[in-house]
Amino acid sequence: MSISITIASLRMRSPVILSSGVLGSRYGTINRVIKNTLVGAVVTKTFTKEPREGYLTPIVAYTEAGLVNAVGLANPGIDNLKEILLNIVKEVPVIVSIASSTPREFAEMSIKAEEAGADAVELNLSCPHVKGHGLEVGQDPKYVREVVENVKSVLKIPVFAKLGLNDKVIESAKEAEKAGVDAITAINSVRAMVIDIYAKKPVLSNKYGGLSGPAIHPIAVRVVYDLYKNIEVPIIGVGGITKWEDAVELILAGASAIAVASAIALKGISVINEIVEGIVSYLRSEGYSSLEEIIGLAHKN
Amino acid sequence: MLSRLKYNVGKVVRVTDEAEDIKSFYIKVKMEESYPGQFVMVWLPGFEEIPLSPSLHEQEILRLTVAAVGPTTRKMHELNIGDRVFIRGPYGRGFNINHKGKYLLIAGGYGAAPLIYALRKLREVGKHVAYAIGAKTSSKLLFVNEAKNLGAKVYIATDDGSRGFKGFVTEMVQEIIENYDNILACGPEKMLYRVMEMCLKTNVRCQLSIERYIKCGIGICGSCALDPKGLLVCKDGPVFYAEELVGTDFGKYYTLPSGIKKPI
Repeated sequence: MSISITIASLRMRSPVILSSGVLGSRYGTINRVIKNTLVGAVVTKTFTKEPREGYLTPIVAYTEAGLVNAVGLANPGIDNLKEILLNIVKEVPVIVSIASSTPREFAEMSIKAEEAGADAVELNLSCPHVKGHGLEVGQDPKYVREVVENVKSVLKIPVFAKLGLNDKVIESAKEAEKAGVDAITAINSVRAMVIDIYAKKPVLSNKYGGLSGPAIHPIAVRVVYDLYKNIEVPIIGVGGITKWEDAVELILAGASAIAVASAIALKGISVINEIVEGIVSYLRSEGYSSLEEIIGLAHKN
Repeated sequence: MLSRLKYNVGKVVRVTDEAEDIKSFYIKVKMEESYPGQFVMVWLPGFEEIPLSPSLHEQEILRLTVAAVGPTTRKMHELNIGDRVFIRGPYGRGFNINHKGKYLLIAGGYGAAPLIYALRKLREVGKHVAYAIGAKTSSKLLFVNEAKNLGAKVYIATDDGSRGFKGFVTEMVQEIIENYDNILACGPEKMLYRVMEMCLKTNVRCQLSIERYIKCGIGICGSCALDPKGLLVCKDGPVFYAEELVGTDFGKYYTLPSGIKKPI
């Protein structure tokens, strides 16, 4: 049974990727995921040009629909990336997530990421809770194209663009593809808010955050399905995956690989193996011999 | 499960002065009972949410013993009976108090909080317990009477010699560590590192409650991670056996909220 997959020259031993934002800021936790699971690739926490402390706590808020978070892109800054990457075991591709507010700075940062040893760069064009680094960027297709063009013109390694839920997500993905993007990651968490009725205040110190978890999964399935109809480059499906069935659903919608975050929040890193094993037994019981046979299968017939 | 992220609304039912600038808040709250060494996240709306290890938790009464050291804890010191406190948890792995033999609890400053709770639980099952408490000066000593009343042998150290042994609690206990089968410790990192060294040398089982910048409390944000093993203080800890911490950043590097490391 073959569940390895190659996306934009990155060979992955499984289609399950560690999503950006979860445990990806220190080499110790990244190595722990690589060594103890069948993860296919890891995406680091988003790096910015300067270090960011992130928001004050509370940074997570609970709802029955899922988790709303506003970490605030806490990260040690792109200049500290190299030391982290040097300590990561070279067993799976390491994708470095970056965010910026200008196309030029995106390009400068991506050069630093490549020099630091990144196997690919993921442009975070959809953070739902940091002004100037977020959704407003990803919903402007022209801007997306400009960023991707700038980054592609200076890099040898593949470039992924991470887009979030907005009215222009398909259009933005098409523009990114025209600009030469190697893959599209979709979706990000969805801008949301939780108010505690006894505190009578938003729970998050930033008030706004990104909703993840089961509530956004069908939205991710829809977006991935629409992307698959409209673009040729591979899609990495993300959004509310808590079990292997959710991963299979996104693959059937058109994702070549999927990235997990909510599942880890619920069950810890061992869930990665559960999802990989679930996909394998699904392929076997449904009579397929490789993952590739089911990518986008929901579009057929 | 994520439902453990839900806030429980607690009400202050009693406030006591434990020591200079240190108060205990008895909070009536319906939530899962923590065991010694676990922590809860405490939120006063409008202020930063902070992790605290309870100094007691039984029959829906949670006791939080707090020094006024930051914006949230200073605000806590203004709480009165009847005021609301928002609490989620409990989280993490606390002390394992099921090991056989005699226990020595080593506390530095307000690190005494989870230890006095452990002491009570140990005494409930009839264990032999000694309590070594260190503080800057006698007015800052915590839980001396409570420990005595619970039947523990008490050792006292103050930096200025105003009560008990003059010097650090680690200097005071170095000769007696070997007389015990189990060490539980909580306090400043330099103190804990010294305790760890002494226990590894003398081969005494040692559990340390350590501190890092905890933000989410449930093992997803990674801000409390210890390189190179990737231990999550909020989930794998905050209590670790000494052996687990060997070769990690513990005692050597602290991590700022951005993730930048600074030597301790």
